[in-house]
Amino acid sequence: MVSSFCWSCLTRLPPAPRAILPPTLTAQRVAAFHTSTALFSSPVKKKKGDAPVAKFRQAKSAKMKKKKPVERTRPPAVGERKALKKRIVLSNPNALEIEGMQDLSAENMVDARLRGSILGLPVPMLDQLRAVQAFKPKQGWSIFRRPGTVVRRETLELGRLIDGISSEGENKGKVVRKIVTGVKGSGKTVHLLQAMSMAFTKNWVVITVPEAQDLVIANTAYAPLSDENPNVYVQNDATAALLSRTVTANQKVLSSLSVSQAHPALKSAVKPGMTLEALAKLGIQDPAAAWNVFQALWTELTATAPAPGFEKTFKPRPPVLVTMDNLAHWMKESKYNSINCTPIHAHDLVFVRHFLSLLKPNANKPTLPNGGLILYATSASNSPAVYGLTVALKQLAARQAGVNPSSPEYPQPDPYLNADKRVLAVFDASKSTAPKEGALELQTLSGITREEARGFMEYFARSGLLRETVTDAWVGEKWTLAGGGVIGELEKLGRRLRVIA
Amino acid sequence: MAWQSPNGLVHAMHSIRRAAQLRPFLQRSVISASPISSPFTPTGLRQRMSARGFTTELQPVAAPEVDLAEFPVKPARIIPVSAAYFSGSPKFIDHLLRLEALLAKYASLPTVSPSDAPRMAWFKLLQFRDVVGEPVPTKKYKALLKLLQRLNRIDPTVAPEEVRSALGLFLRPGNPFGVKPAPATVDDKGRARGKGKRKASSAVVHLVEGEGEVLVNGKTLNEVFPRLHDRESAVWALRCTSRLDKYNVWATVQGGGVTGQAEAITLAVARALLVHEPALKPILRKAGVITVDARRVERKKPGHVKSRKMPTWVKR
Repeated sequence: MVSSFCWSCLTRLPPAPRAILPPTLTAQRVAAFHTSTALFSSPVKKKKGDAPVAKFRQAKSAKMKKKKPVERTRPPAVGERKALKKRIVLSNPNALEIEGMQDLSAENMVDARLRGSILGLPVPMLDQLRAVQAFKPKQGWSIFRRPGTVVRRETLELGRLIDGISSEGENKGKVVRKIVTGVKGSGKTVHLLQAMSMAFTKNWVVITVPEAQDLVIANTAYAPLSDENPNVYVQNDATAALLSRTVTANQKVLSSLSVSQAHPALKSAVKPGMTLEALAKLGIQDPAAAWNVFQALWTELTATAPAPGFEKTFKPRPPVLVTMDNLAHWMKESKYNSINCTPIHAHDLVFVRHFLSLLKPNANKPTLPNGGLILYATSASNSPAVYGLTVALKQLAARQAGVNPSSPEYPQPDPYLNADKRVLAVFDASKSTAPKEGALELQTLSGITREEARGFMEYFARSGLLRETVTDAWVGEKWTLAGGGVIGELEKLGRRLRVIA
Repeated sequence: MAWQSPNGLVHAMHSIRRAAQLRPFLQRSVISASPISSPFTPTGLRQRMSARGFTTELQPVAAPEVDLAEFPVKPARIIPVSAAYFSGSPKFIDHLLRLEALLAKYASLPTVSPSDAPRMAWFKLLQFRDVVGEPVPTKKYKALLKLLQRLNRIDPTVAPEEVRSALGLFLRPGNPFGVKPAPATVDDKGRARGKGKRKASSAVVHLVEGEGEVLVNGKTLNEVFPRLHDRESAVWALRCTSRLDKYNVWATVQGGGVTGQAEAITLAVARALLVHEPALKPILRKAGVITVDARRVERKKPGHVKSRKMPTWVKR
């Protein structure tokens, strides 16, 4: 038998016929050195109904996708939230009207018999007080029928002081300067409000800075004052706002006074015979000139005699009340930057500098020749820690207590704590030779007495806010719980709704 | 069994001999309670005593004739003193029976209320076990204590000496309740001092007569405690006795949190107030300002996340 191929030419071996295997098996690859036959089974297929791998430590329940709620309401308009925050409500029609509540007047502001009672603020005056921003949003005026304040010891002293300065007597034309301090809720801001209301009844001119913070937190525009002194800065908008407050609140007084001095800085804008109201309005209309206008207004208010040529329309100027709240913010570097990107000290703002200069008794020329009251209050809740101010107030208290500044008991700043020299200088001890210039005083408000507290709590009861019998024992308990009659705490206790079981 | 080994046999013989020698001694000691002690000793015994040590000389001697008439006065076997000898705790039961008998005897005597009875420091259970030398169960000791307390309630003016001496046996030595600290007094400046603790805070209060001013660490009440509840609880002792406007409080408090400090002051004020007016104690107790809350934060344990919390269980 002849073999199927030729032995001589193995190279020409015809290709062997392919194994007849299913196509899937041919694809099976087997490693070359394995002698064992390949298992021609197909790989295990995943079963369809296989249970899913159990989940641990996570939710096993079926998740439902939540639909996002469609935003339907619109956000409040720009400025609406702020307006709501700053809104001042002075009346509550649900509160009871109190019979026999007296209004503050020139007669009863010195009446010691009214101590411990509530004096209402006269309704026509409310607009003036609103204009000088005497009310603060969180003060709780909105729970009573109409605003009123407690006559406490300090209020009566203030009344006597204001009465003495404005009426004929030895205190006429005196300048009193006070720093009002005290614990949180002790009534510092309301003390300022009482001073303003008394000043309005006595037809004084009231100039206020309701919040010192607003001038140093870089919320209003600022610019170097002039080319001559580029390191002093003026805030025109803030000054215009100040003029606006002053004009609105003192419109009656200012419109009765007319210009009596020459104001070269304002050039032709000032006409002779112009009222002070019109003068101040110049600054409101043109904020660029606001600072000059304010200075002119200040010159007019502190004038004692007319300049030559103005004698015809001159009337004596009324005393001036200057109040400011939250003093500590003016005692540190402001948020404004200079051209070198270094923070500007608050005392380099000309506005601040002007009001702080009032604290120092002027040696040769009286600060307020027509008399007046300068009341600056600190704050206990929104107050930056300024070491210089702390020491300065301590020194002030020591001086008031009769400690000689050269004695070792006189508090000295810790040399390692870097007290601000400029701050210390503001409150520095220097007595003026002028007889009407009072030295700087420190007035610390603390709690009210039990009798005053009783009057205050009765006010709540008679307004229908407090449904308890006001007895001496009950008042005494609240007086203790309020930290010794701190009036802000007493108010919280009085307005607390109690469910009588 | 000892009898099965030869060694044991010897041992048994020795023990018999020893017992025989000891018999008169035992008779005297154990039957001492019997009315007739026997001076009579059999002659045979004496002979044997002289012949001690020589087992070979031991001769059987017939026991004396049993005289049944003598039996009640001189029992044939050893009789324990206590009837409770076989109860396991005879001394304890004797005490118990004696007290029960006393109580039965004097049950008709007038008693006073437990608070007026003289305070007695009875033995603690462990001490009592040591004293009687028997394992006294807790429950039975409690029953004994009840008996003691009942006997102690007999009006001290009429209590018989017998009862008093019986109770004296159960007192701890040293009279622990006899040593009392001197009662606190108001000092020469009119200050009463009180200390109080709560949680991690401790307070010292000086209470003087005044007008209701409160200073805590030199600060006013509302500066230290912003929360009204804490202010109220700090002066609660004065408030509930309506003494709030009659005293001034000067408190020093440290440690812990706000609530703990307030409640430490509560306790301290109450204690200081008791120095001024001890008669207020029932009112203050009702107001809950005298009771000390001794709870403290429980310590953290190893293996726990906090004091009790265990780590989360994790599979593998």
